[in-house]
Amino acid sequence: MKPLRKFAQSLTDGRGFDILLVAVPLAFLLALSGLPLVYNVLMSFQEVDMFSLGSVVRPFVGFANYTALFEQPETWPIFANTAIFVSASIAGQFLIGFGLALFFWVNFPGASWLRGLFLVSWVMPGLVVGAIWNWMLSGDFGVINFLLRESGIISGNIFWRSDPAYALWAVILANIWLGTSFNMILLSVGLSAIPADLYEAAELDGANLWQRFYTITLPMMRSSIGAVVSLGLIFTLQQFDLFAAITSGGPNNASNVAQYWAWDLSFKQYDFARGATISVIMILFVMLASVVYVRSTRQEVRG
Amino acid sequence: MSETWRNRLMLLIALAMAAIYLFPLYWMYITTLKSGSAMFATPPSFWPHDPQWSNYIYVWESRNLARYLGNSLVIATGSVALITVLGTGCAYVLARYRNGWIDAGLFLILMLQVLPASLMITPIFVGFSQLGLLDYPRLAVVLAIAAKSMPFFVVLVRATFMSVPIELEEAALVDGNSRAGAFLHIVLPLARNGILVSAILIFMQAFGEFVYSKSIIQAVEYQPASVGLNSFMGPNTNEWNSIMAFATIYVTPILAIFVLLQRRIVSGLTSGALK
Repeated sequence: MKPLRKFAQSLTDGRGFDILLVAVPLAFLLALSGLPLVYNVLMSFQEVDMFSLGSVVRPFVGFANYTALFEQPETWPIFANTAIFVSASIAGQFLIGFGLALFFWVNFPGASWLRGLFLVSWVMPGLVVGAIWNWMLSGDFGVINFLLRESGIISGNIFWRSDPAYALWAVILANIWLGTSFNMILLSVGLSAIPADLYEAAELDGANLWQRFYTITLPMMRSSIGAVVSLGLIFTLQQFDLFAAITSGGPNNASNVAQYWAWDLSFKQYDFARGATISVIMILFVMLASVVYVRSTRQEVRG
Repeated sequence: MSETWRNRLMLLIALAMAAIYLFPLYWMYITTLKSGSAMFATPPSFWPHDPQWSNYIYVWESRNLARYLGNSLVIATGSVALITVLGTGCAYVLARYRNGWIDAGLFLILMLQVLPASLMITPIFVGFSQLGLLDYPRLAVVLAIAAKSMPFFVVLVRATFMSVPIELEEAALVDGNSRAGAFLHIVLPLARNGILVSAILIFMQAFGEFVYSKSIIQAVEYQPASVGLNSFMGPNTNEWNSIMAFATIYVTPILAIFVLLQRRIVSGLTSGALK
């Protein structure tokens, strides 16, 4: 009985306690995230259909899924859409978010409370955000078209959701709205960490507002900006709900992006192998982005 | 210009910007109170002159919202419970030590945090169907959400544990507590607020989760409100006042929690995401 008791004691009062606390969640994560990750890669090299869905051993096809994917005519346009969606969303979120963060940085009573209020766009379910924008962007009766018409920017209605030229931008617009507040909050944290005496010294030296911005704010914000932009990349590549709620990737794939397409192939067209193939490619991208994120916050991670 | 005038001017501009930014939310609320014809009027009215409160009752009953919200609640509660139980201890250990193993664990957690749900659902769905888990669709969704959100929870809660002075724990050990006792009676109570805020954030995320529920739950009686809202929005729908009423009933509790706990949620979020 002695080793057993020693073991039990280690679990409550020794190394075993730490190992237990870490091992269980890690095992859970590896089973439910790690294994699917491996399984995904496996499936992308297999022929998967409705009949072989139930077994792990399926015909091995090598890179056939990958070559077939890049022979499909819609593949490159969809990857191009993904690039446009990601870069336009990040640019919009970052620029507006940075502008707002700079504004709220000027401290006035109520600033921090109002700033926090912006974050409601981020805590709302994506489906709800998508539903609201779907309605606001509606062609004939949408309030956005009304406001644009009244201000003389457009003369005829834009059919945001059904016009191939605008469908992707409809989702981008909604995504910028959704993500701007998160960018702003994180950039605010970065701004408040800049020591105030730097600005006082620069002011004494006669630096004007723009010079102070370019020589102090931007350089001091470099790691924050890196973290926010790579987080933005990670979040935009996760964005799915807005596509489901606004355009469903249509019309004719005009607003389709890789992360929606992968799901659509698996769950609408039941082509799980193709879905897995796109997933593998995109997950590699996301992991690359997160390495950049971890690197830009590494000082803090290591303490 | 005096200080007070400058402050007032800034506040005014800030209020105007908040109003513009939050206009979509206002538009959601106002649409719910419009009748079918008022909704499609040109120019649209920006104030409900004849509020149709009955829209809410109609949607609540005709779309069976109680069932949808009940399912969302079950899924969110299950996910938060699982994540809190498993994630808190993990975050504690990752905060307490500092060595190569911990760095590797942290890196692993950060990598798992970024995997997009819409890309992970393909292998998860196929794997779950082989294990027979799809027969318990809500449990399957809870497991999938827990795996997706736990890394985020661990990162947030770890930041909280880092702020608990290790001396307090050491003093408790000297007083004869076991490691488990010191953790349960000293460290956990001190970190309670941070854990609670992180759990609320996770709850709000899980309450709005869509991809996993949409893909895994086929039976309508187990679907959460996000899937219900999605199936309510057909491609050529014109029931926007009802859809917005659905969205309002769904989102208002989340917004209420957020506004009440805003300060804590924002500070909890920022401490985790950048640290």
